[in-house]
Amino acid sequence: MKKALVTGKRRDGNLVEFVCKCPEIAKSAVPGQFVMISVSTTLDPFLNRPLGILWAEGDYFSVLFEIVGRGTSLLAQLEKGDTLSLLGPLGNGYSLDVPRALLLAGGRGIVTLHFLARTLKEIGISISMLFGIQNRSEIVLSRYMVNCAKGVQRFCCEEEISGVFQGTIVDALEDYATVQTIPEGTGVFACGPEGMLRALARHPLLENHRVEVSLEAVMGCGFGVCLSCAHKGRDGYLHVCSEGPVFPLSEVAW
Amino acid sequence: MNVKTRLGALELANPVVLTSGTAGYGKEISPYLDINRVGAITIKGLSLFPCSGNPPPRIYESASGVLNSIGLENKGVERFIQEDIPFLETFSTRVITNIWGTDEQSYLDVARVLTLVERVDGIEVNVSCPNVEKGGASFSCDLASLGSLIGKLRDVISKTFIVKLGPMKENIGDVMVLLEHLDVDAVSITNTFPALAVDVSTQQVYFSRKTAGLSGPAIKPLALRMVYEATQASDIPCIGMGGIASGTDALEFLLVGARAVGVGTATLSNPVASMEILEGIHSWLSERGIESVEDIIGKAR
Ligand SMILES: Cc1cc2nc3c(=O)[nH]c(=O)nc-3n(C[C@H](O)[C@H](O)[C@H](O)COP(=O)(O)OP(=O)(O)OC[C@H]3O[C@@H](n4cnc5c(N)ncnc54)[C@H](O)[C@@H]3O)c2cc1C
Ligand SMILES: Cc1cc2nc3c(=O)[nH]c(=O)nc-3n(C[C@H](O)[C@H](O)[C@H](O)COP(=O)(O)O)c2cc1C
Ligand code: FES
Repeated sequence: MKKALVTGKRRDGNLVEFVCKCPEIAKSAVPGQFVMISVSTTLDPFLNRPLGILWAEGDYFSVLFEIVGRGTSLLAQLEKGDTLSLLGPLGNGYSLDVPRALLLAGGRGIVTLHFLARTLKEIGISISMLFGIQNRSEIVLSRYMVNCAKGVQRFCCEEEISGVFQGTIVDALEDYATVQTIPEGTGVFACGPEGMLRALARHPLLENHRVEVSLEAVMGCGFGVCLSCAHKGRDGYLHVCSEGPVFPLSEVAW
Repeated sequence: MNVKTRLGALELANPVVLTSGTAGYGKEISPYLDINRVGAITIKGLSLFPCSGNPPPRIYESASGVLNSIGLENKGVERFIQEDIPFLETFSTRVITNIWGTDEQSYLDVARVLTLVERVDGIEVNVSCPNVEKGGASFSCDLASLGSLIGKLRDVISKTFIVKLGPMKENIGDVMVLLEHLDVDAVSITNTFPALAVDVSTQQVYFSRKTAGLSGPAIKPLALRMVYEATQASDIPCIGMGGIASGTDALEFLLVGARAVGVGTATLSNPVASMEILEGIHSWLSERGIESVEDIIGKAR
């Protein structure tokens, strides 16, 4: 297990961000990868929890998570100066060899796409980013949208918020397509709830594009030994931790 | 200090064994753990043909325990030999292959293939899976079915032959006596405990196959009792397992009579748990000036 020092903590309601110092992880992490974090020093809960990497720079990386259960509640109790015990970086990241990119993030799916957007910008690839949330409680997540420079940046919410496009990410994508064509060769990257990915998978607008999606699965180990993290695939089950979590959309079944 | 141990003819450099299903086929764990340092690695349960396993979700966490419903997913014995044996050949650790089947014939077929593979040191037979010929009851649900399967396997297995038992209706002492008659080399005790999880948000049973196997620290006292009674009833060497997560846990199993200890679920949360457990055994022995691990096996009676 690796150790990471929590050097910063930010909490907004149910969302917690930790900035962590761990050169070993930070220097090798690529967008799309995750860490498995131990949430307890006792035997309960026993398993580590998977969290995507929000960004990595120099000796530091960060995670952003929503408190949804026991593990994430315990983790949220840690403070600046505490040490995390963790494994990572794990899994395969997004492809970076694209001429331009369209990023579709839903809810906390923003985590790994934030890292991807920053990285693509750094290497000079133009990006557009559509980000959707279900209700206003998630509005703080919009902080993690990345300035798209020349590209398009859209924020949408299923609930009515004044000044914000109302609808799902699919609605936002359709709206975007009325003003902007998605040129051939564009790398499309999607991360978000299963329902959102499923809707995108069938969408004609994405039919002729190279689409990569990041999947979630309940995990035991996170490093390929237990076969817990199965997700339906075109040719049998995919193993999200070891073969993913990023997959070409064409390989995924729903 | 001497931590060597023996399972019949098979000598292990130390008593810590990685259990089946928690170390993959070897390749998956090895970036995290030097598998030459464990006493043995047990491979994920292999069947004659690939098996896709159960639909997700496949894992659920309970208090200090884990329920799994992997459904024995595996790549099948042929692909294992092609893809993983060459990798395992670059290591000197003991390799135990775990096998399962749906009827006697399918067990015998996998056993016949693996017994010819030089790199395989032992064959561990999982008898806790459903027997399609008996309407899905486990092979270990009665002594007659178990005896029939094990007797036939003994005739084809020339490697160290290990029978892996789980919780059963039969008295474990009677099972051990039967296995001794059948000339089994070693036993692994225990497999997971049948258990259930319920999701209140959907008001449904959590797993599609309903029951799942409970492992991890939650089962340790149950497993210890089984190992204690099994090793009282018979001298067949036993690999004790079930919830071992520390050196102390491992020592408890050795003290009740296990000759080796299996580390399973603990590896999922810490890939080097087995090494920390081995160090724990070492330092406990050396603090007490105990020369050999043999000296404590079965002391707690
Ligand atoms: C590769 C990967 C990356 C992830 N990245 C992030 C992230 O960046 N930020 C974030 O907030 N969350 C992320 N998750 C989800 C996060 O792992 C779960 O929310 C967390 O494990 C729940 O733990 P808990 O003990 O608090 O909840 P539990 O009490 O275990 O469960 C509460 C709820 O969360 C669901 N859940 C449990 N484990 C998982 C899981 N592994 N994946 C999805 N849902 C789960 C349960 O079904 C249940 O509905 C990621 C999951 C995966 C697989
Ligand atoms: C994810 C998982 C997969 C397992 N797969 C197998 C298997 O294929 N064959 C088998 O005989 N036992 C299997 N087991 C059982 C373990 O080998 C072990 O007997 C059991 O988990 C008890 O030990 P533990 O509490 O240390 O995990 C599996 C256990 C887990 C948690
Ligand atoms: S979580 Fe264990 S193999 Fe993926």
